[in-house]
Amino acid sequence: MEDFQYHAPGSVDAAVSLLRDAEDGKVVAGGMSLLPLMKLGLAAPGGLVSLGKVSGLDGIADRGSEIEVGALCTHAQVAAAEIVRERIPALAAMAEGIGDAQVRNRGTIGGSVAHNDPAADYPAACLALGATIATDRREIAADDFFLGMFFTALEEDEVITAVRFPVPTRAGWAKFPNPASKYAVAGVMAADGPAGVRVAVTGASGDGVFRVAEMEAALASSFEPASVAGVSVSAEAMLSDDAAGPEYRAHLVTVMAKRAVEEA
Amino acid sequence: MIRPAAGGAAQAPEALSVVGRRMRKVDGLAKATGRARYTDDIALPGMLHGKILRSPHPHARILAIDTSRAAALEGVHAVVTGRDMPTTYGIIPWTPDEHPLCVDRVRYVGDGVAAVAAVDEDTANAALELVEVAYEELPAYLDPHDAIAAADGPFIHEPRKPGRNGNVTKVVKLAFGDVEAGIAAAREEGGVVVEGDYFFEGTTHTPIEPHCAIGLADASGKLTVWSATQVPHYLHRELARVLELDPAMVRVVQPPVGGAFGGKSEPFDLEFCVAKLSMITGRPVKILYTREEVFYSHRGRHPFHMRYRTGARADGVLAAVDAEIVMDGGAYASFGLVTTYYSGQLLTAPYQMPAYRFHSTRAYTNKPACGPKRGHGSVQPRFAFEVQLDRIAEALEIDPIELRRRNALGEGTRTVNDLRVTSNGFLECLAMVEDASAWRRKFRRLPYGRGVGVAGSTYISGTNYPVYPNDMPQSAVQLQVDRSGRVAVFSGASEIGQGVDSMVAYVVAEELGVPLDHVRVFAGDTDFTPVDLGAYSSRVTFMLGNACIDAARRVKRQVQKVVAEAWDAKPQEVLLAGGLAVRAGDTGTQMPIREAFNLAEAAFGALGATGSYDTPKDVHGSYRGATIGASPAYSFTAHVAEVEVDPETGFVDVVQIWIAHDCGRALNPVLVEGQMEGSAYMGFAEAIMEEQIFKTADQGRAGLHNAPSLLDYRIPTSLDTPALRSLIVESIDPEGPYGAKEAGEGPLHPSIPAIANAIYDAVGVRMNALPFSPPRVWRALQAEAARTPAARSAATPAAVS
Repeated sequence: MEDFQYHAPGSVDAAVSLLRDAEDGKVVAGGMSLLPLMKLGLAAPGGLVSLGKVSGLDGIADRGSEIEVGALCTHAQVAAAEIVRERIPALAAMAEGIGDAQVRNRGTIGGSVAHNDPAADYPAACLALGATIATDRREIAADDFFLGMFFTALEEDEVITAVRFPVPTRAGWAKFPNPASKYAVAGVMAADGPAGVRVAVTGASGDGVFRVAEMEAALASSFEPASVAGVSVSAEAMLSDDAAGPEYRAHLVTVMAKRAVEEA
Repeated sequence: MIRPAAGGAAQAPEALSVVGRRMRKVDGLAKATGRARYTDDIALPGMLHGKILRSPHPHARILAIDTSRAAALEGVHAVVTGRDMPTTYGIIPWTPDEHPLCVDRVRYVGDGVAAVAAVDEDTANAALELVEVAYEELPAYLDPHDAIAAADGPFIHEPRKPGRNGNVTKVVKLAFGDVEAGIAAAREEGGVVVEGDYFFEGTTHTPIEPHCAIGLADASGKLTVWSATQVPHYLHRELARVLELDPAMVRVVQPPVGGAFGGKSEPFDLEFCVAKLSMITGRPVKILYTREEVFYSHRGRHPFHMRYRTGARADGVLAAVDAEIVMDGGAYASFGLVTTYYSGQLLTAPYQMPAYRFHSTRAYTNKPACGPKRGHGSVQPRFAFEVQLDRIAEALEIDPIELRRRNALGEGTRTVNDLRVTSNGFLECLAMVEDASAWRRKFRRLPYGRGVGVAGSTYISGTNYPVYPNDMPQSAVQLQVDRSGRVAVFSGASEIGQGVDSMVAYVVAEELGVPLDHVRVFAGDTDFTPVDLGAYSSRVTFMLGNACIDAARRVKRQVQKVVAEAWDAKPQEVLLAGGLAVRAGDTGTQMPIREAFNLAEAAFGALGATGSYDTPKDVHGSYRGATIGASPAYSFTAHVAEVEVDPETGFVDVVQIWIAHDCGRALNPVLVEGQMEGSAYMGFAEAIMEEQIFKTADQGRAGLHNAPSLLDYRIPTSLDTPALRSLIVESIDPEGPYGAKEAGEGPLHPSIPAIANAIYDAVGVRMNALPFSPPRVWRALQAEAARTPAARSAATPAAVS
């Protein structure tokens, strides 16, 4: 691991200004993605700005038509929160299936969304539910946020403060995990909510999270597992790794979509 | 010395007071509470840290190495290259093909080229970047068939004799009985001949503790090496030979080892490097492998390409077995000569084979060297063969457990290749898994997607012949009795988590009647302990156990004699148990064991003894290679696995494995069950998950390991692990200590074919290549659906009644 400067500011504003000043600065919360990358030498930020001492970002609130999840909420917190379990059970189920217990106790929603790993679970939930990502300076619709593998609409010095999920009529989550890392080989959230009927897929494509228009159209006319069971996605843009090749991944997308609808 | 021919050490169970009880490990508390000190926990004053520069190429000539910039870096104390240690070594004396660091050629990505010692690891790593190596790349072989086909070179190793293929480590062709006649008879007489091609993927050991070593050359010229090894004696020999030291000036210390599984059973580059770097600097030097280095050092399971032809008569009795095997050995020989023999020799039990032939070839490839992993050399053929048996059973419409029963070899017999089989509890193993798993209600009767499968196996309890030829005992202990009643045992054996130190304590407590916590076991230090050849080939309990009995009974006889005189009794009337000497038939006559020891010391002088064990040397066939596979006793195992296959994703959920294992006698059932569960777990991991994938030249970096980390290399966690049910069978071997045989490796073998056969029962596809990962099972299901559109689901048999 390379040397770096470590900062632990007490407020979001201070974090933003430290990021602005740092040479190649990075925000760190739970560190579940960034620290392994640093240890492997795949990332070498000059400055780490920890949000550990920033208060007020770790709450979960019921805002009526939306559930607001603070950026520092851990996956374990989201999975266990009564509000989430009652109002968006698919989101709780998704959080409960991330990584392992250690990752769920350290990793945060803000970190997962900002990192936008193509196999992370949260991007699919955000996109399917039509979430809004709130930052220190603006609000960004999930549709405009995830721009490609490890690439988001965030500015270099921008800090996520919360993610707001509209409460859907129904939503379901199904994931086929990598047996080693528990990252999604294919993970699908199917939702029928304020943002319409949506099917968002993570883990499968090299471009990151994506929606499947043909499945959404089929579900819009009948929200049943059978509606998507016959809809296949192209293997062309699928990821290929030791766990699965493109053809198998494409197949899994359909199976997971069907199971997500079953869960809804 | 106990030699088996001189009479067995078996004893009736009612006479035992310690052996057979469920007990803790003697080192359990220290390990569970984090107090055990492993090699990396040792920090010596003035200690330097070493790092090894590794080849980025799978195959290349080293044209020049310039270490001057590295040596000049502040904080660097020494840099060494292959030229500083030019002597070759190898765990098998006939195939010494390794250097501590490469001299003129690198043979896999990760091969060691230079080593530095510096004040800390960061400085050492920085120094490595300053070592300049000029390479000339050579063609790389990643597939063993390509390596064998290149009969005119270029070769990975120079041929040992001119005209030979330098890409081949070893070829073994052995035939017993008339295979072709057996096959023809099976065909003609209403029987069946089954042919199949199988691939066993290579897998690695993944111990929790990475390899670690510390070298310390002191001013007197004595070298001490601490190492996380499972073979301190072989390491001792090779250090002296390669570093050109008098073996009397070399000491190897083996601290507690955090897992080995065969992956630490030969010398590694780091041990020579810490020694040499310490000899140069005069300071202690430590090297701890990174996890990536553990993957590249490897010595794991060989990938096997196997073709089997198996003939059986109409009644299911085997007529002939014919095997052709190509083994992917990686860059060095390691134990490969033995592996090549084992690939065929260890298949001849637990079933009778009237005729058997195998032809095995081990090829070098430009990948990390393969070697011994739990179940060395015989796990791969066992997979293929037990699937073949399942196919025969199906073709002949015989229940697969019944088929195995009909072919069982029996006890007190010889195999077709002349291995001497003493005790044999295989039939009992079959019966136990059949009952426990409710086999008859399940086999071919579960709903589509769910199924059961069975497999059997055998394994050695050590080998009759040691790795280097010699007539000395294979195992020895020294025992010393203190006036407080405490017994110290100096044991040469290697505690690698399997419980050998505990086994020593149980045996000594049993024989001398002292409480278990009054036995102190000192082990793993060549300066203080007699030689045991190491923790490999499931030899330790059998051999060291007998050596302990030998030593303890020498002391016991002295104690019995002197106490008998005091009581005016016969020596055999003096019983030692529970901290007391007691007169048989008159328990009122007794004395504390301490007093009995004091009487003996007064009569005979300091109380102690050595004990040793050597294997039978006259019980093998007369053909070339007959000694390889010969063991004083064989264990037997049967598994039933139950699986649930998700036909949509190909995911195989192994619900439960029933493991019945004949270990002769369970000296401590807790530890035997631990070995059975650990073995079945490891087999399950290989069956379902593990895969060693290397990049090809097309992918840019030939020979680069795709997943040299525990984040990417798939092994099961406890959450992935099936329910495991251990069923101990005790056949009481006539030559084992109290009748004990091995338990550490045998119970791995049947997991894999039992799961494969269960998958067939569940969804009707034969998995002939490992691992049975979701994409592979799914593809097999797709292929099956394309072949038979009316899938088996249409005719789902009735559910379990």
